[in-house]
Amino acid sequence: MKFKDYYETFGLPRSATQDEIKRAYRKLARKYHPDVSKDPDAEARFKELGEAYAVLKDPEKRAAYDQMGSQWKSGQDFKPPPDWNAGFEFSGRDFGAGDGMDHSDFFEALFGRQARGAQRPGMHARGEDHHAKVLIDLEDAYRGAQRSISLRVPEVDAQGHVVLRERRLDVSIPKGIRAGQHLRLTGQGEPGLGEGPAGDLYLEIGFNPHPRFRIDDRDVYLDLPLAPWEAALGCSLAVATPDGSVQLTVPAGTAAGKSLRLKGKGIPGNPPGDLYVVPKVVLPPAVSESEKEAYRAMAKAFDFNAREPMKR
Amino acid sequence: MTNTNLQLIRGAIVEEEIHLTLEELCQACRASEEHVMAWVFEGVLEPIGDAPPDWRFTGSALHRARLALWLTRDLEINPPGVALALDLLDEIAALKTRLQRAGSR
Repeated sequence: MKFKDYYETFGLPRSATQDEIKRAYRKLARKYHPDVSKDPDAEARFKELGEAYAVLKDPEKRAAYDQMGSQWKSGQDFKPPPDWNAGFEFSGRDFGAGDGMDHSDFFEALFGRQARGAQRPGMHARGEDHHAKVLIDLEDAYRGAQRSISLRVPEVDAQGHVVLRERRLDVSIPKGIRAGQHLRLTGQGEPGLGEGPAGDLYLEIGFNPHPRFRIDDRDVYLDLPLAPWEAALGCSLAVATPDGSVQLTVPAGTAAGKSLRLKGKGIPGNPPGDLYVVPKVVLPPAVSESEKEAYRAMAKAFDFNAREPMKR
Repeated sequence: MTNTNLQLIRGAIVEEEIHLTLEELCQACRASEEHVMAWVFEGVLEPIGDAPPDWRFTGSALHRARLALWLTRDLEINPPGVALALDLLDEIAALKTRLQRAGSR
């Protein structure tokens, strides 16, 4: 297990006041909250902040943590000394900003419920509900999928040490699920204490970014590049959708940006979403003499002024 | 660390198959009933049903309630402030979706 320097997380000296800790936490938490931040590491950073704050904001936990001494450095191999927290009483199940899951093994060993629960035999309580995020591909929402997810669960080993055990769950992702929806897996959360029932596990679904498709709730958007003559004269072509290829008729006079709707070809469901094909007209460069001649012929054939709207 | 394999688990889509009671929502988000009630009265959460025992929350309340709890507990924002922050975050999410839908032009 690696030691975690919670003061370093906030960039504060060990002598920081409770107020300074609170201010530093708030400033960083605002910056890294996953709903607000654009930082790709936001989620991990936010969890670290939550864990550090859960310890340092609570005077009891902070005192116990400080008592281990200042000689420890972040990342150093660490084993909690026996009875390291003797004389401290950590009250309640309130662990602050964190989700109560995915805390470091360092945190779990010192402050986790297993570490505290072991001190109070004969207690019964329902396990807490856990939350996790799962990213799936758009295609999975069309067809349904299986996903293996790994969860880290603290457990007490034979020697009485808290260890994090990796638990793999094979979850079936139902067809038609959309970003932002949650799956509830009954009884897959934290185990109950004593005879208490286990909590539930909530999985929040998100989509991996797709190179071609964009998603808005149950509707899917696809850009379709067209040559000017294809857009003007119409054409029929094969278009790859997340559900396989379809033959699409582009009507004559299709304007750039004017979407063609394929009803019911979005994410399946009741009702299913729609697939919008957004035509993009691509101008071919005129390089060879015959290509230039074709553009000159167009200029002659059309009574067309591209700047007509600017005259008004 | 050891690995354990379990059989395939089927979950229920909260948004479509389940409505959460006040107690279930509190359990799922670790929020107190007082908190959730304050958020309902402020319009942060909009359950179906008239009185707290009849309230049923949809899946979107899960995410909102967890966010509201963070704003309340860690940033010490009061319920009207939480309502405002969540409205603004909704607005940003809607704009982001629109931007993303429009693609790069």
